[in-house]
Amino acid sequence: MTTIKTDRVMLAALAVILACGLLAVYSASRAVSGENVFLKQVLWMAVGILVFRLGATLALRLVEDFAYIFLVAICLLLLLTVFFGGGPAGRWLIFGPLHVQPSEFAKIAIIVAAARAFADLKSRPRKYGVLLVFLGASPAILLTWLQPDLGTATAMVIILLMLTWWAGYGPDWIFLVVSPVFAALSSTKLVFWLVFTAVLVIILLRRKASIPVWLFILGGNTLIAVFTPMVWNLLHPYQQTRLTTFLNPAADPHGAGWNVIQSEVAIGSGGIWGQGYLQGAQKGLAFLPARHTDFIFSVWAEETGFAGSLLLLGAFALLAFRLLRAAKVSMSEFGSILAAGCACYFVVHVFINVGMTLGIMPVTGLPLVLVSYGGSQLLSAMFIAGLGMNVARNWREF
Amino acid sequence: MAGFSAVFLLLFLGLAARLFHLQSVRGDYYRSISTSNHIRVIYRPAPRGIIRDRNGEILVDNVPSFVISAVRSEFDTTATEEVASLIGIPADSLRARLGRASSRPFRPFVVVDDLDLIAIGPLSENLHRFGGLIIDVVPRRRYYHGMSFCHIVGYVGESEEDGAFEGEITGRAGLESTLNYLLAGQPGYTQQVVDAMGRVVSEFEGAGEVAPMPGHDLTLTIDTGLQELTCAILDEETAPGAAVILDYKTGEILCLASSPGFDPQTMADGISVAGWREISQNPERPMFSRAWAARYPPGSVYKLISAAYLLQYGFITPDFRPDPCYGSYHLGGNDFGCWSVHGRLDVVDALARSCDVFFYRTIQLGSMDGLAEFSRKFGLGRRLLNILPGESRGLVPDRLLMDSLYGSGGWGLGNLLNLSIGQGELLVNPLQMAVMTGIFASGGEMPGLKLVREIPAAEAPWSDLELSVSAVSTVVEGMREAVYGNAGTLSSLSSMPWEFFGKSGTAESSAGDHAWVVGFIREPEPLAIAVVVEHGGHGGAVAAPIVYRILAGYLGDGG
Repeated sequence: MTTIKTDRVMLAALAVILACGLLAVYSASRAVSGENVFLKQVLWMAVGILVFRLGATLALRLVEDFAYIFLVAICLLLLLTVFFGGGPAGRWLIFGPLHVQPSEFAKIAIIVAAARAFADLKSRPRKYGVLLVFLGASPAILLTWLQPDLGTATAMVIILLMLTWWAGYGPDWIFLVVSPVFAALSSTKLVFWLVFTAVLVIILLRRKASIPVWLFILGGNTLIAVFTPMVWNLLHPYQQTRLTTFLNPAADPHGAGWNVIQSEVAIGSGGIWGQGYLQGAQKGLAFLPARHTDFIFSVWAEETGFAGSLLLLGAFALLAFRLLRAAKVSMSEFGSILAAGCACYFVVHVFINVGMTLGIMPVTGLPLVLVSYGGSQLLSAMFIAGLGMNVARNWREF
Repeated sequence: MAGFSAVFLLLFLGLAARLFHLQSVRGDYYRSISTSNHIRVIYRPAPRGIIRDRNGEILVDNVPSFVISAVRSEFDTTATEEVASLIGIPADSLRARLGRASSRPFRPFVVVDDLDLIAIGPLSENLHRFGGLIIDVVPRRRYYHGMSFCHIVGYVGESEEDGAFEGEITGRAGLESTLNYLLAGQPGYTQQVVDAMGRVVSEFEGAGEVAPMPGHDLTLTIDTGLQELTCAILDEETAPGAAVILDYKTGEILCLASSPGFDPQTMADGISVAGWREISQNPERPMFSRAWAARYPPGSVYKLISAAYLLQYGFITPDFRPDPCYGSYHLGGNDFGCWSVHGRLDVVDALARSCDVFFYRTIQLGSMDGLAEFSRKFGLGRRLLNILPGESRGLVPDRLLMDSLYGSGGWGLGNLLNLSIGQGELLVNPLQMAVMTGIFASGGEMPGLKLVREIPAAEAPWSDLELSVSAVSTVVEGMREAVYGNAGTLSSLSSMPWEFFGKSGTAESSAGDHAWVVGFIREPEPLAIAVVVEHGGHGGAVAAPIVYRILAGYLGDGG
């Protein structure tokens, strides 16, 4: 037996994030009347620390064994929510005073189950193994989408794709698989399309693709890029709105654009050093929507400026890189992929949420993990951080 | 896995770069907006969809309505007199409004609203000479043939929903309300940076201006000429009433008239308290659409279904003659009366002369549940269209319902006897009666109902009715004999230029009998009609002339 060593740098990064989160929620909650948001968050955080310890000390073997059962159980919960969900977006299961958002916990299940599946594939390779992993994860992803929670479902897919890469399947291969989606999206702007096509060409050059493959991939994607706007324009304006609101209910045609503008104004007005803690003008004017949940970063950036924002982002980056390091040194295949999944979880959430407040990502209703107000999100993020720490501590296991 | 770390790094650097751009490069700009300024959203209402009738005639559209506003700080008060005369209001009135606005000198306030193009003319030609005056255009709902379409089209009013902007209108009644999601469209907005005093500093840099998205137009299957004619004829009656006419070949509803009505324009324009009270407290309930929302006992027109039921399931044959009608029928200590003494007759004559005793005797071969089930397939007891507000289901009694009303054993054969002549618990609306008639006219082939072309036809519960040819032809023969036969109840309609098939009904009600006539013609158009006059009295006497006048007025006197 070797001595188990806690990753103190990871712990420090986590502490900084949680501290920033509490400060931000306190500041934002002063403008929220009614519920005692801050006290609840403190309570959740206390529970969260216990959950973190649990995640960090569980036997990883146990986690691996129960991975699939956990995934099935979560799918059942998600199914329940589809039919009996409550709350403003219908994503909560309500048990008395307790509001549980199963889609948050589904992310844990996806990561753990994918880690086990990829680890199994390493020891016993199968033809079309990747396909099986995606097939296995698809019920949870689809049910999450039906919550409706497109943001979380998208995050799950991205995390899965990154794990596929980590598990040894080349990134270019993954890019080619999802290229039709990129092609459709890139048709909105010429610049996007040029970048997308350039990437495609680089990949095909690197893979030394044969001429039919070149024709198929480049031609097919160009066709998609050309036809997407044509089909789109054939639709009635109201059909377009229905489609976009169906795909993404959070993108309320009046509200969403407006929220982002307000968020940009708040963040921009923070300047280098910020307006000062508890001094944010935009927040106080109630211009910032969902300021204690989805737009918490705007509050923090307005009050603490570029300096404070970098501190928070830096702490997240540090956390992610330490998790990645744990993934690299872990001698267990399962542990390695699990830690990588934890790292991806944080990076994807931070990029999508902060990117949204900065106006470079679409409005999806994804919270800033560990910082936004909300119990389900905090507990699941703490558990994931705990699992990552677990891998870091037990890298010699197996 | 250096690639993985590189991706992570790139993502974080991307966020940092964007942060730097917003907070450092553009920080001063955003700070200037945030500290003393804020952003004002100006909503631009979306034009609601236009509703047309089957011939393209417009029933409701939007006309521009002009609003003159003034910004106090920019208005030159020496021009008050001249501006007032150009607008056509007293100078004192304008002066008073300017005085009231001095507390918010930079925000536009409304001087006059709801002006048309002609009224706005003098000022708009001289607008360049006066600072601080603004002319805005807002779409305003305009109803044509309003009184005739008040129940179908309905009207709009200001939205009180959370999140509605000031002045946003929404459907309040009729299709305006139930199809609001199609008609409303999406409002657009422009954003302005406004300082603390309400002064517009600039349009917001880079912010999207969102154009309003017009609502979806709708086309009704209603024929405006027929609808207006029918309403006018019904309005001449002293009692309230309703009429429904549909094309039984296509399932399209041509007329859904209910009398009395009201003027939807006054509702949409904002009605006075006194005017509202007059309409809402009128005992004849003008807001209530009798054509689809009312529930009446059908009386003898229901005998069409009773007869079809008996024939369809072989309880009787077309030439079966039960014991004669002596004017009443005796069952378990109760007398079930008939309105006349009919003697011995077959089902065709029983329909033509509307004999009750025939049905008292024969219906005992069937059952309450059998008749209920059969009736439901004709669309009774259910909503047929589901897009009209307050559409009634009516009520079809079966054993379950009777048990819950009277307790098991608390009712008996007598209730079945009553049901067979359309009395008792049975309730229907005129639309259901027109549909029933259309089903007989088409031999059960009528497609699902259609009122709005853009919406798929309603479900047709009668599609699995599988009426036997002999049942249909016998019932239709009864309807023909009611008009042309010896002592038929609708002989007054025999002078109509086209062959008319009909059935009258006098539905007993405590406040006076309801007068019903249903019927159809094959030429010159396949029309089925149902008319009811509330507490009107005898169907053949009261409702039949209405049917005559509607059809004659619509199709011409036939030469």
